[in-house]
Amino acid sequence: MTKSIISVQNLSKSFNKQEILSNVSFDVQEGSINGLLGPNGSGKTTIIRLLNGVISPSQGKMELLGFNPITHGEEIRAHSGIVTESTNLYHEMSAWDNLMFYSKLYNVHDKERAKSLLTMLDMYQHKDKKVGTFSTGMKKRVSLAKALLNRPKLLFLDEPTNGLDPEGIQLVLHYLKELNEQEGITILICSHVLHQLENVCTSYLFIKNGVMLESGTREELEMKYIKEVQVLIETSVPLDLATSLGYECEEKGEGQLVFTLPSRGVIPTLLRDLLSKGPVYGSRITNQTLDNLYFQIGGAAHE
Amino acid sequence: MNKRIVSALIKKDIKSMLLSKRTWGPMLLVSILLCILLPAAIAYGGAYKDNLSFMSGQNIDKTMESVVDRLPSSDFKDQLLSLDTLGQKFSFFFLSYQLVSIFLMVTVINSMVTATSSFVSEKERGTLETLLFSPITIKELFVGKILASFIPSIIITYVAYLASFALINSLTFKVFHSLLFINPMWLLLMFWVVPGLVLFNILLNVLISAKMKTYQEAQQFGGLLILPFVGLIVSQATGLFLVSPMVLIVLGALLYGLVVGLLLLITKMTKRNSLFESQIH
Repeated sequence: MTKSIISVQNLSKSFNKQEILSNVSFDVQEGSINGLLGPNGSGKTTIIRLLNGVISPSQGKMELLGFNPITHGEEIRAHSGIVTESTNLYHEMSAWDNLMFYSKLYNVHDKERAKSLLTMLDMYQHKDKKVGTFSTGMKKRVSLAKALLNRPKLLFLDEPTNGLDPEGIQLVLHYLKELNEQEGITILICSHVLHQLENVCTSYLFIKNGVMLESGTREELEMKYIKEVQVLIETSVPLDLATSLGYECEEKGEGQLVFTLPSRGVIPTLLRDLLSKGPVYGSRITNQTLDNLYFQIGGAAHE
Repeated sequence: MNKRIVSALIKKDIKSMLLSKRTWGPMLLVSILLCILLPAAIAYGGAYKDNLSFMSGQNIDKTMESVVDRLPSSDFKDQLLSLDTLGQKFSFFFLSYQLVSIFLMVTVINSMVTATSSFVSEKERGTLETLLFSPITIKELFVGKILASFIPSIIITYVAYLASFALINSLTFKVFHSLLFINPMWLLLMFWVVPGLVLFNILLNVLISAKMKTYQEAQQFGGLLILPFVGLIVSQATGLFLVSPMVLIVLGALLYGLVVGLLLLITKMTKRNSLFESQIH
């Protein structure tokens, strides 16, 4: 049975009388990868800062790794790692010197840790080059290595894919999955680019204007918010014949029909029925993307 | 306090400083120019050539006389009066008295450069955020930053002092028949006042840097600190106010008192949360 590694209750934060977070509550399970998703300025970074005890909340309770960030921030910071939005490394120093400096701050004595992380992140061959000469992707990887030096139990990533090319994004997300599987690290990723986290996270937290709209696993959220399934099917069965089967259907393009179904469970029956009338070349659900889920949740919360 | 963390901060800052010509370049230039080359030129010109042509006017002669008159009776005054030429007298007086103010001013400039770069440069590079996210305490951060500014400043000042001592005495010993820069006043200056001044200036600048948003803002504010020493140079040149060992003892004590006051202020004013909220956006 998993247990909560982060527990937040009624957390609020105001700056200069402006409310940034309002009554936010959520839990994060140990060993999970969590996407904290929402538009820019929705309060994601503020949550990370509050959880690390570097700023104080206006009200609310937090507990991470059994510690209160307000009173025991140092214990939390010693057992967690963070990659901030701008990679924040010393550009005039080499990647290796940066890691050696942070190793001392995090009380890590084993140089092998830095070596193995740079090797895993495919950066060992660049270790003696100055960070200032690196591309954004390379800086992100060194920053990730820095965040992992102390074998953290919790890893915070603030917009880790910002400024990366598609290949870089895939690489970073691949490393994160690998880390989660190999070292059991609980990960909290903040992002406003929802589709990138489509296949990475096990749980999601949706935030907008400082309000936590919803949280849960993909299945839980889909069960709750996706009331009907839209399936795009490539087939040469004509529209009128498909409609005559009793399904709600419309033509999207040549040889493409979109069916609206009450649930996923109806898809096998639909496919069998269609195959009895003609060839089917392919099918995919179109309304169960993370973006769609977010808009459903965002819409529902503001109705 | 974790000494390993503090020493890591110090080593990192000094290494960064050495890698940045923008930081050490002006410090080295000002120190060499004002503490070594200028006094060496005055020593050589005054002691040997007596060709300090700008001093040939009668006014200078009179000013020099009035300054000498103000000096209390001492071996120094006797020695000064026994010198043959105006050039020798001026150079002996400059090297013994006026150079004190110049050394103080250079010390202020150097410690201001190292101290201002300590916090503001971390903020401008975005690394202050990463430091505040690490398990380092605010006390370790401040102690590390203060020492990382103190060590290079004091080393440069002492190296300039030793270089000046060696070069200028080798130039003037034949004429003055005594060693300069080793009397009680200079020893008090270098080993009592200078460390206090460096520490005071660093603490003040660290405090300013922690409150200011940009490097430029912090440097402009910190630059005001040079003014009292410019005033000291002028007052010494005109004989209005002459530095004496007693003045230096009092000045040092005052500086150490202010150091303690600033330390207390920094401890009170800098909490992690307030530092983060004021510096990181």
